[in-house]
Amino acid sequence: MIYFSLTAPLFLSYSNVLNVVQQSAVLGVLAFGMTTVFISGGAHVISGGIDLSAGSNLGLSAAIYASIIQAGGTDWIALPVTLLTGLIIGAINAWAIVGLKILPLLATLATMNVCAGFELVLTQNTVVPAASPLLTAVAATGSLAVPNIVYIFFCLAAFLLILIEATPFGLRLYAVGGFREAAIAAGIRVNHYVAASYLISGVCGSVAAILSLSLLNGSSPGAGEILLSVVLVALLGVIVSRRSVPTISGTLISSLFIGFLVNGFQLTNVSSYWVNGVQGGLILLVVAGSSFSRRAAY
Amino acid sequence: MASAITSTHDHTRRGVVRWMLRNSLLVGFVLVFAALGIAAPGFLTWNNLVSVILNEFTLATIISLGMTLVISAGGIDLSVGSAADIASLAFIGLVGAHQPFWLAVIAGLSGALLVGALNASLIAGIRISPLLATLGTLFISTSVQQLASNGGQPIYLISGTLPEAFYFLGRGQLFGVPVQIYIVAILAIVFFVILHKTKFGRYVFALGAQSGVAWYSGIQVSSISALVYVLSAVVCGIAGILLSVTVKAYVPQSGNAYLLWTIGAVFIGTTLHAEGRPSVAGTLLGVLLLSIVRNGLLLIGWNFYWQQVATGLLIFAVLAFSGRRSREAS
Repeated sequence: MIYFSLTAPLFLSYSNVLNVVQQSAVLGVLAFGMTTVFISGGAHVISGGIDLSAGSNLGLSAAIYASIIQAGGTDWIALPVTLLTGLIIGAINAWAIVGLKILPLLATLATMNVCAGFELVLTQNTVVPAASPLLTAVAATGSLAVPNIVYIFFCLAAFLLILIEATPFGLRLYAVGGFREAAIAAGIRVNHYVAASYLISGVCGSVAAILSLSLLNGSSPGAGEILLSVVLVALLGVIVSRRSVPTISGTLISSLFIGFLVNGFQLTNVSSYWVNGVQGGLILLVVAGSSFSRRAAY
Repeated sequence: MASAITSTHDHTRRGVVRWMLRNSLLVGFVLVFAALGIAAPGFLTWNNLVSVILNEFTLATIISLGMTLVISAGGIDLSVGSAADIASLAFIGLVGAHQPFWLAVIAGLSGALLVGALNASLIAGIRISPLLATLGTLFISTSVQQLASNGGQPIYLISGTLPEAFYFLGRGQLFGVPVQIYIVAILAIVFFVILHKTKFGRYVFALGAQSGVAWYSGIQVSSISALVYVLSAVVCGIAGILLSVTVKAYVPQSGNAYLLWTIGAVFIGTTLHAEGRPSVAGTLLGVLLLSIVRNGLLLIGWNFYWQQVATGLLIFAVLAFSGRRSREAS
């Protein structure tokens, strides 16, 4: 970061910082949902919580919103339908994981396939342009020359931060993920909390869809490819946090970190081919450093 | 008397249901096969079944075998596609530069080995979570490929100038059976023996079930898990080379398409086992099920978009039934 601010004078300018935050919003919102799922699901590699449908949820929600606008619908129809889509996807995940007891990895893998398929059916693999008053308003610049997306992003972050870090709900969510049997013994309705985390992740997917629609002026095929970046940001958030547990604040920092990294590369004219590799390398470096400091046994 | 009859009747009916639930994979397999055979006239022909096996099944199976090993050890490998792609890149690069064929194969396999060694040192050496380590490897390999291929340009080879062995591996036949099928069969047998018949295999399962206990029992946990990731990468390298001889090109990022598919196949396969363990036989059935569904829907005339929906629903159905079974047992 210091390197970028020295080599690219524009890097730390007010407008560029806002620009970066705006670009990170979509990834960040999805990563918030993923973080919530990580919290309630525990850290086991295979049986732990994960939401692979985050990316295709974004794609399907965006496609639905754009299609409704294209068909002549107004924002007042499109907005609730889109949010409902996210909620339904979350509910299906929750039902499969809590009700049918399928591993989260697989349940969300199946919903991912279904969502990606429906998105393709709906859009026929083309860009669906969407322009509506609400999307324009979201993309517009609000007070203090700050884009509205940034406000939405930070408001959502603040809401989830309070919900998860400062309420009994959040505390119990951590209890469920941290030590399931103890949580059951303490009388927590474990299933409700796990289900709630997938619902939150589903809604985050559709909110991110609306943000990406307003940024890109339409839905675009291949939106699901964001998935691995989302997982990366959420995992990096775990590393950033002080106690090595998933936290919303950690995820916020890590999503901004990735945003600044990509932006810094663009400003210093380094080929964009390097971005992925440096991202991966840096993260492994950070993780390696932190795991050396606390050698966990197997 | 009457009640006794009903109860035995009930009992046998419950027995049948239980058997069907326990073997939901086999039942699903037969149902899918029968449904496709009726709905798509061309499905049950010999040529079509061979083409399913050649085009869809071989590569996914090879990659899934590595994934089976990794998941048995309680880990996951998100970089399977990367290993295949890097192998393909090195292999096609050298063949394109008119180097000897054997050198190109060795280079391809060493490329994959490099990916595996990176994973192994991160996971077994520095003890990073497999999910994060292999994800990092995936991102790094994306960059490497973009740099090497000028931002994602495929490298095509010109037909007619290629060595004989290249065609043999791609489209050759031995006793009327394609060469690639022999390779898959050999690898499947090798993995079956490794995983189910050797001490190493038992250690792998021990690692997956209770890594802490495995460690206290004196099993060399780090070297076992390192070897698991290296083996997974090497078979992915073989898949990458087979992919490139088939399409006569290196297409960047083409291996990633297999990632989630193979994870799905391995876990569909776990429903075959009473305790839900991965097995080579289960994985083979899982891949076969997914690939015949893809092929069958194509023959019925459903487009690619609906195939994805159907694949998702199928994974859902198989897992849902096996989930019901495990609840019944408990």
